Amino acid sequence: MTSRRDFLKVTGAAGTGLMLGLYLEAKPRPGEATKATFRPNAFLTIRPDGTAQITVPKVEMGQGVRTALPLALAEELDLDWSKIEVVNAQPGPDFKGMQTGGSTSVSGTWDSLRKAGAAAREMLKAAAAAQWNVAADQCRTEKGFVLGPGGKKLGYGGLSEAAAKLPVPKDPPLKKPADYRLLGKRTPRFDGPAIVTGKAVFGLDVRRPGQRVAAVLRCPVPGGKIKTWDDAKAKAVRGVKAVVEVPTGIAVIAESTWAAFKGREALAATATWDEGPARDFNSSTLEAKMRAALTGPADDARREGDAGKALKAAAKVLEAEYSFPYQAHATVEPMNATALVTADGAEMWAGSQSANRAQERAAAALGLKPEQMKVNVPLIGGGFGRRLGTDFSTEAAQVAKAAGGGPVQVVWDREDDLRHDLFHPATLHRLRAGLDGSGALTAWAHRIAGPAVLRSWTGGQKAPSQAATESNGAYDIPYAIPAIAVDFAEVEAPTPLGWWRGIEIVPNVFARECFLDEVAHALGKDPLRLRLELLGERGTVKFGRETADIRRLKKVLEVAAAKAGWGRKLPAGRGLGLACHAYDGRTYAAEVAEVSVVKGRLRIHKVTCAVDCGLVVNPAGLEAQVEGGIAFGLSALFSQITWEKGRTVQTGYHDFPVLRLADMPAIETHVVPSAEAPSGMGEPPVPIAIPAVLNAVFAATGKRIRKVPLEDNLI
Amino acid sequence: MAAFTLSVNGKIHTVEAPPDMPLLWVLRDRFALTGTKFGCGQGLCGACTVHLGGEPVRSCVTPVGDVGTKRITTIEGLDPHGAHPLQKAWIEADVSQCGYCQTGQIMTAAALLAKNPRPTDRDIDQAMGENVCRCGTYLRIREAIHRAAGQRKEVAS
Repeated sequence: MTSRRDFLKVTGAAGTGLMLGLYLEAKPRPGEATKATFRPNAFLTIRPDGTAQITVPKVEMGQGVRTALPLALAEELDLDWSKIEVVNAQPGPDFKGMQTGGSTSVSGTWDSLRKAGAAAREMLKAAAAAQWNVAADQCRTEKGFVLGPGGKKLGYGGLSEAAAKLPVPKDPPLKKPADYRLLGKRTPRFDGPAIVTGKAVFGLDVRRPGQRVAAVLRCPVPGGKIKTWDDAKAKAVRGVKAVVEVPTGIAVIAESTWAAFKGREALAATATWDEGPARDFNSSTLEAKMRAALTGPADDARREGDAGKALKAAAKVLEAEYSFPYQAHATVEPMNATALVTADGAEMWAGSQSANRAQERAAAALGLKPEQMKVNVPLIGGGFGRRLGTDFSTEAAQVAKAAGGGPVQVVWDREDDLRHDLFHPATLHRLRAGLDGSGALTAWAHRIAGPAVLRSWTGGQKAPSQAATESNGAYDIPYAIPAIAVDFAEVEAPTPLGWWRGIEIVPNVFARECFLDEVAHALGKDPLRLRLELLGERGTVKFGRETADIRRLKKVLEVAAAKAGWGRKLPAGRGLGLACHAYDGRTYAAEVAEVSVVKGRLRIHKVTCAVDCGLVVNPAGLEAQVEGGIAFGLSALFSQITWEKGRTVQTGYHDFPVLRLADMPAIETHVVPSAEAPSGMGEPPVPIAIPAVLNAVFAATGKRIRKVPLEDNLI
Repeated sequence: MAAFTLSVNGKIHTVEAPPDMPLLWVLRDRFALTGTKFGCGQGLCGACTVHLGGEPVRSCVTPVGDVGTKRITTIEGLDPHGAHPLQKAWIEADVSQCGYCQTGQIMTAAALLAKNPRPTDRDIDQAMGENVCRCGTYLRIREAIHRAAGQRKEVAS
């Protein structure tokens, strides 16, 4: 491992500029013959004219990182927000941690970005102070200027050359939140103007000189291969240039997207398939296997007390089965990537959430070193975890190579995208609760059965943490119950799997929070009151590798309930329901849903959400994440992926519907103020949406729903 | 293959294309107007919405051979300065998340407002009902439409 060294560099280009960063080691970079060499994490460039360019080390997929991350740096540096430029990082020695997901973008860069901004601020102050012959601590910074005693004022642009000669402070003082000018204020999305005028560039919008387009014919059954095909008719389609074989199927390469699709259609008519080992896979067989796995051996995720014994001794045992299906990401921008292969390297434009891995794998697929594969990440039209996969980016590199150069843009249509998703797998849940004669909950057992998503990340290996990972949301049940047993029984399925916003926490919290509601009902207790009692007066609690502060969870629960008017009388057919969760022990969220059911039709009127995610960088961005997360969670009430003959039954938005405007409830977001570091909001609103709604359905109708999606969209 | 003369954002273009090529691909691949997006190719998500003679259509299922002399307006031509009331309202209401579906949303909303300058929430639900947003920006879309219409946000009926 190289040791980290911080130092400055003066950039060339137009005049001098100040480039700051955290460098790993000084080493010449290819092509930078005339400049001082370094291997930086370079976040910041300040030009002589005072404009600041901030390089964002995470990728933008709507979660707001191109706004929130620059804000952290701009705050410490006291930049003029109206004069900044934001550029996307490229994977490489400067940016090794570009993987974006897990609700970690703000939290993961909070320290490094603030430090980078603060260091620059101190250096600019020092440069001004030297020029004015005053002490640096007599200077302060504001909106791109250093201000000194007696009304002295110098812009950052004019100071950049002098500041660049100074050493980088290792531990610059960081601002106190009370002094924040930008952070904590509503900041409009940086890319808003480009988006609304159609100028924003997504992967599918990339246009390189001489670019061709490819559509790949793949076996509809994952793992299947093409057996025979005849490319004559495909080649006869006007605009089709080549038909080439790649590991994922047959690529039809054309001069336009339409010609590629038409060519592929002609090719598909001639294809025969070896559908492979998954050809008989179907949802009912999997369901039977999962049900069988609800009893019998499993891997422990949490074992406290003796739940088995306590259940046997219980005065009453409640038991229920909960079911959550396969889900797909269905991002509105289908998978795509553009790649170009040259004599000595390659370049790619891919909306990847795993830019570093995308670079490594595409390079390896072409027999190149990672540094020979330049990767550009444009704006992403929806990620939700799908684009953590590197399948679509590696495939594009292979197509470009097979096509004899490039650039080639591989476009997936909606059916491709849905059929070849990296799916969230189905799970079945068996929950049991033991109650004693005095109405206390004495035992809680939660068995989860289904495929293990983690294997998709470990190259198929069973990780030691598999049970804990697959039972996240279940094993960290925050309620104080004397005996708790949570375990995971893996059931294999020959389907590609991936991480879907919230991952296993979504089905596990759905089952947990709904079943807890069943317990409350059996005890004749108000669901809020039961939760508050079970949370108790504890402080921080440790669950395996996770630690949660119960007080913070209680607080969001109380706030959500109070703001939603919990306990008020509602007309017949209308009800309130709630759910809460301490997400990975770092972000706390509670939701109260208000619903009505009329003739079986569900109407979700409102969701009141209370969150504690530490310090809020941008309230506008946070609200967007809450609204979007709730919409994403509720969408799973209405859609699922099922399997028949090895392939998905669903092929598009007609049979995999996503939530529409008319279904969207009103949403009210309440932030519980916190001085903790930001802890993430991408996923926490998702898992509690469905249980809040279904608990409200029970309150409204007395009907308990334990399986999603709703059949025929009816209660 | 045939030659088509098309009016796009006030300019006349001639293009050679098969008559069944959807207008979406003529716009994106022939005219490099990439503001109109591909989401499904089946007319189900609205990302490809453009105006034909002021009417909103899903360009992914509109063959170029069917366009004729109707004036085509894309997001690029909605307003010469990107300052259509909806575009301004979209910024004020901070609507976009990933942004991919938003041009289709705006084009559908623009057609709604051209016909119905003061829409109710129900009017908006109906007009915008087939524009998918996987990021869930729906509440802000509705707010932006009300703002552009010069209305305060209405309570849902």
